[in-house]
Amino acid sequence: MPPKPTKVTNRIRALRFESGEMTQADMAERLGVTRQTVIAIEQGKYSPSLEMAFEIARLFKRPLDDVFHYAGPFQQAEGGSDDQPSS
Amino acid sequence: MTHEMRSPGDDDPVIMTAEERSVWVYLAVVIITSTAYYAVIIPRVLSQPIEDVSWITPMLWTLGFSIVGTIVGSIVGAIGGAIGLAIRGIDPKGQLEGDMRDKDIKRLGDRRGAMIASTAMFGVLVLAMIGADLFWIGNLVFLAGTIGAFVETMTKIVAYRRGM
Repeated sequence: MPPKPTKVTNRIRALRFESGEMTQADMAERLGVTRQTVIAIEQGKYSPSLEMAFEIARLFKRPLDDVFHYAGPFQQAEGGSDDQPSS
Repeated sequence: MTHEMRSPGDDDPVIMTAEERSVWVYLAVVIITSTAYYAVIIPRVLSQPIEDVSWITPMLWTLGFSIVGTIVGSIVGAIGGAIGLAIRGIDPKGQLEGDMRDKDIKRLGDRRGAMIASTAMFGVLVLAMIGADLFWIGNLVFLAGTIGAFVETMTKIVAYRRGM
């Protein structure tokens, strides 16, 4: 069965290797989740909670949108920006 | 002689958490016990009047086996998973116990299963209102529970395998 596509993509795998080849198990232990959850997030099969997304970004010492990307309606309408339209 | 357990590498096989194993066990138990129940009941329904069909004892046995089978199967599955990792020299810590993803998947599956059960309650109400034989009322509840359990477990398995 092919994985169900989500609109949230991420660079976790690349960032793990940039962070001294951190293994999935190491990352899982630091986040307090299972290795299976790290794999599911990496493969886009599971969208983490906002809190966990921030924890992952902090783990790699990166801003949130360096780690996660969301191809939502605002991004499509505004040519790549994730920002909310200002009123 | 002591064996040092190692943390799993990215190339090591991914095992199921205890929660996912329990879902598979529950699915297997539901299929086996409900098939056995219908294998006993359907010939009786076809050979005698509904009022004379003895269904309470087979249903109690089915429910008993379902509960005991799920508990025992889940324990055996969890122990089997830990032994499987230990044989490969991999530390089971952080691989078997569930986390928030398991809880999210459980919530999704439970909600779908509950939808089936609550829908069937309307049918039970209608049967009671028209004074249907207790056989039909009891068996509609049983059928709803079986279908609900099947939908619940399949939802969880798809969420584990394909994502949610």
